[in-house]
Amino acid sequence: MSYWYSENRPQRQFGAVFDTNKCIECQTCTLACKTTWTTGRGQEFMLWNNVETKPYGSYPLAWDLQVLSKLGPQTWEGDTYTGQTVFEAAPAGLRVLGSERQSIDYNYPNVGEDEILGKVDRGGSLSLPQEMWMFYLARICNHCTYPACLESCPRSSIYKRPEDGIVVIDQGRCRGYQECVKACPYGKVYFNPSTGTSEKCIACFPKIEQGLQPQCFVNCIGKIRLQGWVSTPDKVKEDNPIDYLVHVRKMALPLYPQFGLEPNVYYVPPVHVPDQFLFQMFGPGVTKAKEAYLNAKEDKTLKGLFALFGCTERTIPYFKIVGDYAVALDDDRREIVRVPIYEPVVVRKAQDRIYQIMRSNTT
Amino acid sequence: MKTILMILLLVLMAGCRGPIIDTQQVPAKYVAGALPTEDPASGMWDDAPEHPAKMMVQDVTEPKLIEPGVSLLKVRALHNKDWVVFRLEWDDPTQDLIPKSGSSSDAVAIQFPMRQGSDVPDPAMGEQNKGVRIWFWKSVWQDDDERKKSGKGDRISTLYPNAAPDHYPFEAEPLKKDAKAQTEAARRYAPARASGNPILVRPNSNPVQVLMAEGFGNTTPAGSQPSAGRGVWKSGKWMTTIARPLKGGDELGTLEPGKRGYIAFAIWDGAKQHTGSRKMRSGWVPFILNEQ
Repeated sequence: MSYWYSENRPQRQFGAVFDTNKCIECQTCTLACKTTWTTGRGQEFMLWNNVETKPYGSYPLAWDLQVLSKLGPQTWEGDTYTGQTVFEAAPAGLRVLGSERQSIDYNYPNVGEDEILGKVDRGGSLSLPQEMWMFYLARICNHCTYPACLESCPRSSIYKRPEDGIVVIDQGRCRGYQECVKACPYGKVYFNPSTGTSEKCIACFPKIEQGLQPQCFVNCIGKIRLQGWVSTPDKVKEDNPIDYLVHVRKMALPLYPQFGLEPNVYYVPPVHVPDQFLFQMFGPGVTKAKEAYLNAKEDKTLKGLFALFGCTERTIPYFKIVGDYAVALDDDRREIVRVPIYEPVVVRKAQDRIYQIMRSNTT
Repeated sequence: MKTILMILLLVLMAGCRGPIIDTQQVPAKYVAGALPTEDPASGMWDDAPEHPAKMMVQDVTEPKLIEPGVSLLKVRALHNKDWVVFRLEWDDPTQDLIPKSGSSSDAVAIQFPMRQGSDVPDPAMGEQNKGVRIWFWKSVWQDDDERKKSGKGDRISTLYPNAAPDHYPFEAEPLKKDAKAQTEAARRYAPARASGNPILVRPNSNPVQVLMAEGFGNTTPAGSQPSAGRGVWKSGKWMTTIARPLKGGDELGTLEPGKRGYIAFAIWDGAKQHTGSRKMRSGWVPFILNEQ
């Protein structure tokens, strides 16, 4: 793969795993981010965090379809991508194969919400070969190892922090050229017409610096997110939760790996969605990832690790399983918190004898 | 009959006499007294010679301009031995002021080598240790000031006049009694302003910013260098003045009447999202301040 700058990895890399199976698109993450960072003039339609319904939702409008159609059909050989990334496919005179972004593309953050692919009971108005499905895709900046935004900026106003790999725009240096807005294939850089500069997710770095997870992680009521540090495959630590899910069990996958940016937010793919669709979105590891997830209930380590999602505001660099507990550990492997892997099950009778009523258990 | 037609033609041509065209250089005409630094339509321009500067695509560095923009810039210049003012005229069917996603501001710039003389730096933004100084006019800066003076809304209410945001934290009830707290809250959610970004936090209402560069990607504001200018868009045409003092100050060479120097130009079309290096530019053009 070609990249404008030579490889320069940070001391450690911000990483995250999102479990798409648990997301209910309540948008609490979106609002947690919005109220923390983007309530200023010019940020009205700016959502550093958004959740969209797949296959029909997208914010900004058609961000994924635009770049996929521009990139055209590409090739995989087994698990290896042999096609062009957005860097090799850049048109003459540009560094990145970019997308066109108009201000109206940001005006419909809920387009396609809850729309399913398939038939309704009495038959749909159109018939499609796919089964009936949809899923929610929560998205933040991927704080990529090879950020297209950074490469595209002609005046080096974007940098990757050496201490944590978070990609930020220098708001004092940016001159609002919008090259990064066009270059990011994920559509995660936004132009602020009030200030005339481009802005993006900063992974709540003031929190990260204090050992805390970002706002969109800790406010997630579905507990779908875990923030930590992701290692390169040659330096995997089995007791690092992100490494364990990404590298050891290979059940959390990068979003559109074929773009070539090495995104650092990884997704557990939705188990009910056909592989054929997910291959394009998460690469060829989908089948095995879904299988591992479906068997997680039999696997104490995996079940324990998922129990740690959303259980503390602290970043969890390490973890261990002790008996029937999952234990979150800090950088010095001291205990942060422990949670039970198995919660007690209480079966309540349908009829309440005291009040003489029938109860309906809905969960 | 032929003779009558010839006479008629000559009479018509005499009536349509345009400016003196100087294709070789930009000659700045000397005028005593005040210059029309902010008046591109002033009658004083009528007698100034005009140089048709040929513009070409910037195709030296990425991002390059692929689709050509306007190819001709008409340049006139006047000086009074203290200041020189240029009037730049080019075709642009749309007036683009406030930048938003998918469009940017119309802009024009004049570039001077740091040191006058024949050993000029690369015309594309200069080079290391052979820098350039740029007088850069941007339509949105002028528009910001004109809206402010006439009591019109800010950029957002101008772009989206019918928008009705629910709430901004800086408008919260407890802050309304304390203007300072309100300003501080608004500033916190405008990081570019809080960072003192020079494209936003400008020292005065002047729409011309003076920049220095030594090659691509390092353009930086040049402190408090004096400048002036104003653009007028009418009937698919921009006419913009840009003025600077002859005296350079700091390391910038002084322009001296009678001595030949060099200048270069660049134009950005906001509708085509020209920004930064996506621009039409000229090579170095000889430039002289006429002594009389």
